Amino acid sequence: MDAETATSSISFAPPPEPAGPPPAVPPEANALPLHVALSALAGLVASIVWAVTGGGYYWPAWVWLGVGIPVAIHGIVRYGFSRPGSARHGFILHGMVTGLVSSILVIVWGFTTDGVDDFWPLWPLLVLGVALAVHMLVIYADRLPGSRREAQLAERVGELTRTRRGALDVQAAELRRIERDLHDGAQARLVALSLLLGRTEERLSSHPEEAELVRQARAEASAAIGELRDLARGIAPPVLADRGLAAAVEALGRRAATPVTVDAQELHERPLPVVETAAYFVVSEALTNVAKHAPGTSAHVRLAEQDGRLMIEISDDGPGGADPDGNGLTGLRHRVEALDGTLTVTSVEGSGTTVHAELPCGR
Amino acid sequence: MRAVIVEDLALLREGIVALLREHDVDVVAQAEDAEGLLRIVAGHKPDLAVVDVRLPPTFTDEGLRAAIEARRRQPGLNILILSQYVEPIYTAELLESGEGGVGYLLKERVGEVRSFMDAVQRVAAGGTALDREVVSELVRQRAGEGAEGNGDALSTLTPREREVLELMAEGRTNAAIARHMVVTPGAVEKHVTNIFGKLDLPATNDDHRRVLAVLTFLRAG
Repeated sequence: MDAETATSSISFAPPPEPAGPPPAVPPEANALPLHVALSALAGLVASIVWAVTGGGYYWPAWVWLGVGIPVAIHGIVRYGFSRPGSARHGFILHGMVTGLVSSILVIVWGFTTDGVDDFWPLWPLLVLGVALAVHMLVIYADRLPGSRREAQLAERVGELTRTRRGALDVQAAELRRIERDLHDGAQARLVALSLLLGRTEERLSSHPEEAELVRQARAEASAAIGELRDLARGIAPPVLADRGLAAAVEALGRRAATPVTVDAQELHERPLPVVETAAYFVVSEALTNVAKHAPGTSAHVRLAEQDGRLMIEISDDGPGGADPDGNGLTGLRHRVEALDGTLTVTSVEGSGTTVHAELPCGR
Repeated sequence: MRAVIVEDLALLREGIVALLREHDVDVVAQAEDAEGLLRIVAGHKPDLAVVDVRLPPTFTDEGLRAAIEARRRQPGLNILILSQYVEPIYTAELLESGEGGVGYLLKERVGEVRSFMDAVQRVAAGGTALDREVVSELVRQRAGEGAEGNGDALSTLTPREREVLELMAEGRTNAAIARHMVVTPGAVEKHVTNIFGKLDLPATNDDHRRVLAVLTFLRAG
């Protein structure tokens, strides 16, 4: 008998250890295989002698027991020194020792008692088992449902969800502020500049060369205004803040290179701004993809709210076969997942592409 | 012409007032928010209200809403909306808001003094002045819908005719279109006749009704 049988005899097998750094055991201590081999040899020799001398009472069992116990102890000690002293490790050692002692008791009982009337190891086995069970409870209590640790984790998850949502709200508000500042700050000044240049140009009608220079300066100012407008629109399209998701998506559809129909009848209340913005960019990216990969096909956008969740679906009747992990979609998926939403792309060759996203409205 | 200006940024408001006064427009009052707009329109009964679309306190589209409300209170009020961006749905709301001249221009057009003042005069006279960005979006949208199948009439126009169509949709007169394209008014008239024939629109000599016919066609898609 070796450590393996000792531990399994009480139907408790230590779970396999996770692969980690090899145990720091000096080479000379790795003598367990030799010990096992010598012990087995001793047992075999005793058995052969027993067989040669005519059988009868199988006395080599005591030899097996005598050599098996040291082997089991050897194994346990080796395990005890080989791993870091975590609570789980201590519990496994406890289990091994319990298994060994139980095995010895049961084996000794089996060798010394006929019949099953007097199972005297029962009480010591019960005590050992209860001790082991108590040890296990102490270690794994925090994994039981309803335990304090469980409650702490739930609280932590709630807190993280709230703070992440808060951070995203702040970010969305900040982006809208930047967008407004662009409009009312830099862009307004450029408009004022453009106006001054225009008035100057008018007064220079008798100096065509100078007037031409001023006209060029005004053209530059106009280009800068246009660039600021595109930048601001990329941050948060004004119509989204003004009129909400349905109107903004309809505006997107009108601007798209392909014909787009929009169904937003089941969208009643406005979701949080941060959710609206994410939804808007999902539609925007999906329609851009339709125009890019399925030109000439038409697209359908459906917006609806169900049980506090905003459903966004963009489908086209194009050739399909889109890569669900394409760059634009991956960025969108991250954006949606940051809001506890999901985004799936279904694109079968020959039957169009559907982008489906769901977001909690968060009101 | 008597006009009121509603713009929350003083720098810009003063610039526009100066520009209008240089062109003999009588700026009778100024305001910086939607409430102010309703107050000065009620108090001065102007011919024209020049209004920034974004006004305090929410800086969304209250300029537009207030202008439409002012027109409800004073039917026939001519409205020129200035905006940092153009949205076709706002165009539709303006065009459907009742009688009177309607203008919807990007703010930076104030620097193109001559065409801006053309637009101001047109709207004050009850006409239409749409930004070329709005028009090109309408045309693109209409063309896109036409491409879907039923052989849209837009595709039968020559590039030159399409240019004339866009200028008409902006609200320009034949004379202004001729000046812009550097052709004779006669050439423009010929293009216009062709366009109305190809698009099957009712011929009219009234500039305003002509614009409406073109816009109706473009928005019908």
